Amino acid sequence: MIALNHIYKYVNQGGTRVFLLRDISLNIAQGEFISIMGPSGSGKTTLLNVMGMLDEADEGEYLFLDQPVKALKEKQRSALYKQHIGFVFQAYHLIDELTVYENIETPLLYKDYKSSERSAMVCEMLDKFNMVAKKDLFPHQLSGGQQQLVGIARAIVSKPTLLLADEPTGNLNSQQGQEIMELFKKLNSEGLTIIQVTHSEKNAAYGSRIINLSDGRIEN
Amino acid sequence: MLKNYIITALRNLWRNKFFSFINIFGLSIGISCCMLIFLYAKDEVSFDRFHEKKDQIYRVVAEIRSPDGKVNKESSTGMAQGPRFDANIPEIEDAVRMELTDFHIKQGSEVIEQSALFVDDRFFSFFSFPLLYGDPKTALQDPHSVVLSEDLARRYFGKADAIGKTLQMKAGEDFEPFVVSAVVKNPPANSSIKTDMLVSMKFQEARQEGNLFWMNFYLNTFVTLKKGADLQKTEAAMNRVYNQEAAAQISDMAKNYGFNEKVSYHLQPLLNMHLDTDYPAENGVVSGSNPLYSYILMAITGVILLIACINFINLTVARSLKRAKEIGIRKVIGGQRKSLVLQFMGESMVLGLFAFMLAIALTFALLPLFNSLSEKALSFSYLLDGKLVLAYIGLFLLTSFLAGFYPALVLSAFKPVETLYGKFRFTGKNYLSKGLIVFQFSLTTFLIVATVIVYSQFNYLLGFDLGYDHGRVMRVKTPKMNASGYEVLKNELMANPSIQALTAQNGGQWRTIAHVNGDVEQQFDIRGVSDNYFSFFGIPVIMGRNFSPAFPSDSISSVVVNESFVKAAGWKNPIGETVDFFYEHRKCTVIGVIRDYHYSSLLENVSPQLFSMNPQLRYKQVYLKFREGSRPQAIEHARAVLRKLYPAQPYQYDFLDDLIAENYSSEARWKQIISFAAVLTIFISCIGLFGLASLSAEKRAKEIGIRKVLGASVSVIMRNITLDFLLLVLVAACMALPLAWMAGNAWLQNYPYRISLHPFIFAGAALAVVFFALLTVSYQAIKAARSNPVRNLRTD
Repeated sequence: MIALNHIYKYVNQGGTRVFLLRDISLNIAQGEFISIMGPSGSGKTTLLNVMGMLDEADEGEYLFLDQPVKALKEKQRSALYKQHIGFVFQAYHLIDELTVYENIETPLLYKDYKSSERSAMVCEMLDKFNMVAKKDLFPHQLSGGQQQLVGIARAIVSKPTLLLADEPTGNLNSQQGQEIMELFKKLNSEGLTIIQVTHSEKNAAYGSRIINLSDGRIEN
Repeated sequence: MLKNYIITALRNLWRNKFFSFINIFGLSIGISCCMLIFLYAKDEVSFDRFHEKKDQIYRVVAEIRSPDGKVNKESSTGMAQGPRFDANIPEIEDAVRMELTDFHIKQGSEVIEQSALFVDDRFFSFFSFPLLYGDPKTALQDPHSVVLSEDLARRYFGKADAIGKTLQMKAGEDFEPFVVSAVVKNPPANSSIKTDMLVSMKFQEARQEGNLFWMNFYLNTFVTLKKGADLQKTEAAMNRVYNQEAAAQISDMAKNYGFNEKVSYHLQPLLNMHLDTDYPAENGVVSGSNPLYSYILMAITGVILLIACINFINLTVARSLKRAKEIGIRKVIGGQRKSLVLQFMGESMVLGLFAFMLAIALTFALLPLFNSLSEKALSFSYLLDGKLVLAYIGLFLLTSFLAGFYPALVLSAFKPVETLYGKFRFTGKNYLSKGLIVFQFSLTTFLIVATVIVYSQFNYLLGFDLGYDHGRVMRVKTPKMNASGYEVLKNELMANPSIQALTAQNGGQWRTIAHVNGDVEQQFDIRGVSDNYFSFFGIPVIMGRNFSPAFPSDSISSVVVNESFVKAAGWKNPIGETVDFFYEHRKCTVIGVIRDYHYSSLLENVSPQLFSMNPQLRYKQVYLKFREGSRPQAIEHARAVLRKLYPAQPYQYDFLDDLIAENYSSEARWKQIISFAAVLTIFISCIGLFGLASLSAEKRAKEIGIRKVLGASVSVIMRNITLDFLLLVLVAACMALPLAWMAGNAWLQNYPYRISLHPFIFAGAALAVVFFALLTVSYQAIKAARSNPVRNLRTD
């Protein structure tokens, strides 16, 4: 599904070149559950963003579903990730002015689903995540764990093939974190490819494969 | 999708009530001003459009060219033109003349003055003024018939149906009975012809001899052209008829009066009349208006709306930091830039809609004020006109677009990676935003300077020493009086202690010509006065002597002139010089020269003036000076005396100070309009600045916290925040002042007597703007500087 070949990413800081990613080569198959680990500043989030096409590598080749991402035009690229990728963030990133229901519905609006389809899909999510009673609440009325559930529901409501999660449990207590991980495991077993960035060994262990990053390099 | 946008928009507006209020309120003021202007403009162009034959009706106007090439544009004609053109030119279907006059009307024991129009009997088939009662064909057939407006009928007879009632009316020497033959519906407010009272032209024709005199200009002649008639051909035919039929009169005039001007006739479309500055609506045609007023009002309105839009743009962009996260999320979960632009545009539309609704309410509330400012009778029901509604929708869309488009572009361009990971700082130098503030405050400064200049000039004109004593002077109109009639009136009036002095003058304002230095023609203003005229007004005789009863010949052959007359005649020694009224075969000798005084408005230079005691110039008004504090007694005493001596004369009086102020009524109006505009722009600019300052303080909360922890005092921090803004406002002031200086100078050139532009005015205006800006910003600065640093540092 994902093939990274000799990926480099750097920024220039006052004349010297600082590498964020060095020579990353990585293959990820459909249905895998990958955990990316490493200390702060090791390039985990950058790698995730490159894979999510929110950021671009400076050197190297990136194939997503066998398509060379660099060769795609901006529009095609965003169409590609919008169709196939869902994002989950450490800080949830819900839209404060929208209710739970509306937050989950928003991606469907952008994909031009009909109103009846939308409500069916959102209700399915609410049901699945046991949030039917909370559908009219605003994000600030929810606990962190509940907010993250909404974040995940929003990420998968339009049925992506890949879920990218950037420290999804970073702001949660251990019990809430565990629930999220169980959910990930369940989603993975239903066929969703998941790549998560995490600090926690315990959470990383839910993955089928762990990739350790240090100073922008993959450690073997 | 749309619902989602609208929901987000509404919740956002509600969440940021403060900024929403600034935006909505500012925009609604701008929109409301625009609405009023639309109403005004619509009214201006709607004048006289209700006539069925509006496209066929023209007014006969004349160009009078003197040998030196000077062209005098005359919007009136004499009696002859209408009937003669009608009879001789096949393209002309009909002609109607209209002459303004005054009647005295007996109402019980009172006599009132009523203005009326003499019109030809086809008036009602020519113009579209529907009759409530009476037959339009016969209403004006009888010379002693009168047509009243509905209002006037009610005033005189208590009901609209006044057919057959009789009014005692006097145009000449005696009262005569006139029978009401028709009642006409009140003319609409946008009619140039106000039909309060109409009397048949036949009555006027019967009183006058030499009806077919071509060489005077005192009434309006309207013609209808046949459909498809060629305008130029018709005009050429008119001039041919004039040159044939008036030939004898022209040569007669040339022989007797030295008439050497060429007259050519033209046709002015009725629909152009209201806004024509060359041939203004006058002589019974009313409400002529200078289109300049519309343009200036439009410009001011545009400025106000623009300033409100700038507020919206600046506040939205400055607030975008808060929206950045939402934008990032929307992009990550599938929002295209296009849909984000749409979303933000939609938000500005929602806001625009609120502003629009508030604007309608504001317009409703402000309409009476605007009516008094613009001297119009606009009504809110005008708003329901189809075209205007379209214009308003256009205005709403334009405003929303103007205000929303740029922020939408900026906001939708944010990169999600930056906004979502907190790397995002809106660090651009923000030249546009700063530029817009500078622009806003330049306009504000400009308007403040303009206001100060208009105010100073106005006060200068009102406080100007006119060179004569006009305080506590009342003018009372009288019937024509000779010297002995005046003596009687004088004795009666002076019997009351409230009246201190009295003098008399002939009626109206007259200009005439005479020969000086042999046969050099000179134009001047002529007044017939009583002998104490100059002492009454405190006008010094600087050469020769005043009129005096000791010289009985004074009333026949002596004149007094002013300095300008002497200058224009080029006399070194004016006393004893001759003024030859050649057309009356009468020569007069100059016995005295008075110092120039401003007898007409200060919008003109003092021109040559001549005073005579010639008994032919019969007195028609007296000036009386009342004692300090006895104005009411003087009014009442004069009323009693006039009622006793002239029971058939309406009592009409004014005060000289009011008459002088009336000269500057247009300036007074502009003074009001421009100060309103200035107050509005300052207000809108300052609420915008207030919002920006609050955002800036918020954005810099952390920086301020750090500074405070490091020991900065409140005043240092305040200086930090205010300085940024003050600098912009100062730049704005510097940019606006030279422009304001130029504009002010150009405007003042219209006035022969004007203030000099003192640097004080400009420094003062700049200081005022800076002061307002400082006041606005410092509130936020103090708030920020006094906030608890611990709280600001904890959250980030």
